[in-house]
Amino acid sequence: MALLLRTHYDLAKSSLKRNRSRSFLTCLGISIGVASIILILSLIGSVTNLISTQVASIGSDLIVVRPTSTRSTVDSVISELTTSTQYLKSNLTLKDVATIEKIEGVATASPLAVSVNSLHGETETTVPSATVVGTSSAFLKIQNLSLKNGTFLREDSETPTAVIGTKLANALFGTSEPVGKTLSLLGQRFIIVGVLAEVDDPINFNNIDLDNAVFVSASVLNNIDNSLQIQQINIRTETTDSVKQIAETIKERLVASKSGDTNFAVLSGDDITHPAGSLMFIVSGILTVVAGISLIVGGIGVMNIMLVSVAERTHEIGIRKAIGASSSNILLQFLIEALILSLSGGLLGFILGYGLSFLLCLITPFNPFISWQILAITFGVSLGTGLLFGLYPALKAARKNPIYSLKFWG
Amino acid sequence: MSEEATNEVIIKLEGLSKRFGYGDAASYALKNFNLEVKRGEFIMIMGPSGCGKTTLLNIIGLLDTPTSGSYLLNNEPASRISPRLQARLRAKKIGFIFQNFNLIPNLPIIENVALPLVYSGYHKTRRLIRASETLDRFSLKEKEYYYPYQLSGGQQQRAAIARALVNKPEIILADEPTGNLDSRSSSLVMEELKQIHNEGNTIIMVTHNPALTSYATRVINMLDGAIDTDIKTVKDSDLPVPVEKKTPKKFFKKRKNNSKKKKGKK
Repeated sequence: MALLLRTHYDLAKSSLKRNRSRSFLTCLGISIGVASIILILSLIGSVTNLISTQVASIGSDLIVVRPTSTRSTVDSVISELTTSTQYLKSNLTLKDVATIEKIEGVATASPLAVSVNSLHGETETTVPSATVVGTSSAFLKIQNLSLKNGTFLREDSETPTAVIGTKLANALFGTSEPVGKTLSLLGQRFIIVGVLAEVDDPINFNNIDLDNAVFVSASVLNNIDNSLQIQQINIRTETTDSVKQIAETIKERLVASKSGDTNFAVLSGDDITHPAGSLMFIVSGILTVVAGISLIVGGIGVMNIMLVSVAERTHEIGIRKAIGASSSNILLQFLIEALILSLSGGLLGFILGYGLSFLLCLITPFNPFISWQILAITFGVSLGTGLLFGLYPALKAARKNPIYSLKFWG
Repeated sequence: MSEEATNEVIIKLEGLSKRFGYGDAASYALKNFNLEVKRGEFIMIMGPSGCGKTTLLNIIGLLDTPTSGSYLLNNEPASRISPRLQARLRAKKIGFIFQNFNLIPNLPIIENVALPLVYSGYHKTRRLIRASETLDRFSLKEKEYYYPYQLSGGQQQRAAIARALVNKPEIILADEPTGNLDSRSSSLVMEELKQIHNEGNTIIMVTHNPALTSYATRVINMLDGAIDTDIKTVKDSDLPVPVEKKTPKKFFKKRKNNSKKKKGKK
């Protein structure tokens, strides 16, 4: 059997070599489809890696509470995405933050009330849609952030204070050192007391671009904005040993204090990245379907060329059958030819896809991502395409009547 | 081995018919055809176009199936041989020679000649060595890496005969092998066939040329799908004995045993 396969491989190779340009163009069809899939998978891998690295760097003593539907079904994930987190009705309150802080083992906790509002500077400058984060003084410590200058929010401050991201400071005041200046938000004036050091990390588990946000005290924000929504509570534990156990306690206490309301999730470790993972899952699903369509087009190209090849070589099929080839021999010969086309297309697509993802990584904050799973998917997809689209022409060749074929001069 | 056993009947056709078309459009290429072929015979089949000569060769060569009647190949009903085994028989036991040579144009001569060995499970090196040896016999060794279009008609036909013989078949079926050749090339090809016959092979050849009947041991004239005349020019007892003794019966038994073994393994 191995000898026969080897022989068929040699036959297929020489037949493909005879029509080099035709074979190359057919391969190209497959490789474009495979390259799109590789590109998408590689980018998804890069994003997931980026977020995981961030969570790892923040530390394993981090717990996050988010308002949520159960997140176990695709429907809930989709509704979450379509409604956007800003508009999702949150059941978390500042009282919950206080409840959490009292729990044994919790070092500190800070709320994240993210909204989009217009900001006015001292002059006419206005930023129409800036990210406003209502939080507490603990945020700086929990996020391991540092300040470029000034101080962070202080709970004991009598006047409303604000800390601003570097990029937003530049947009609003034309300088990255606006400490002492004031900004107006919802009719309330805030004094800038500090500027965050530039992070350049637009994709993170908080869903906030820290360089483009202004941070104010959640309690002050609550006074001027009645519809304040807390989208997340970030918690640091005292030790890394019993994080899961503390998360459980937090959940129990919150359920008790909220009269049995369970529409929130207490997440720790890798689970923190899951909302981002779900988003990527859906986006990647849609993109993969699009890439799959281009692969089908490539596959139809393989089928088309193989049908042409079978028609051209009808006489040869007749001769081979007359001198001893069985139908399965002919089937195998043409199927192997289709497989060589699709697998070489797959290989070319793999190289092309990675080349493109490397290029894309030059202009994005991602690092190129390579894994054996992607390699296996490439191989599987190419093999599947070859088999699926090569089988019909091969069957057609195998079923040819030798007498008719011998009389046929293409 | 006795002489009688050597010249056993290897092909037996009884009441064989082949119909093309249905109903009013039906026509018979072969009608109630009976024939017995003994090992070592050189049969020349003649007759007008459309009398069923090629259909007869196709049925004997297991490329076609009769509409009715029986065909025994080495006492085994052909209808009971599986398509897979039929293909193996065509590769190992039957050699085809065609009027238009039927060489694959984009393969060099040596690979064309080695083609039946591909389907008999030979390794590439062994295939090429054996094909080269066979081509040497037909004085084509120095042209083994030429492509068919680079050879003359006579050389192409000799290469085609080499291909038919490379697996040392027992039956050679030739469909007007000299039809496309000039008289000089024709006589060269016929001398080759005569040589092959003298080695004990059975040859059934279709021709339109009455001058070639001198090479045959039996001349059959066909008319409208049936035998018109059947003349034996050589006694059965004078037929050549195969150089290498092979018994086709054993071949069948071996295959059967093999298939049983395979089933047993499963």
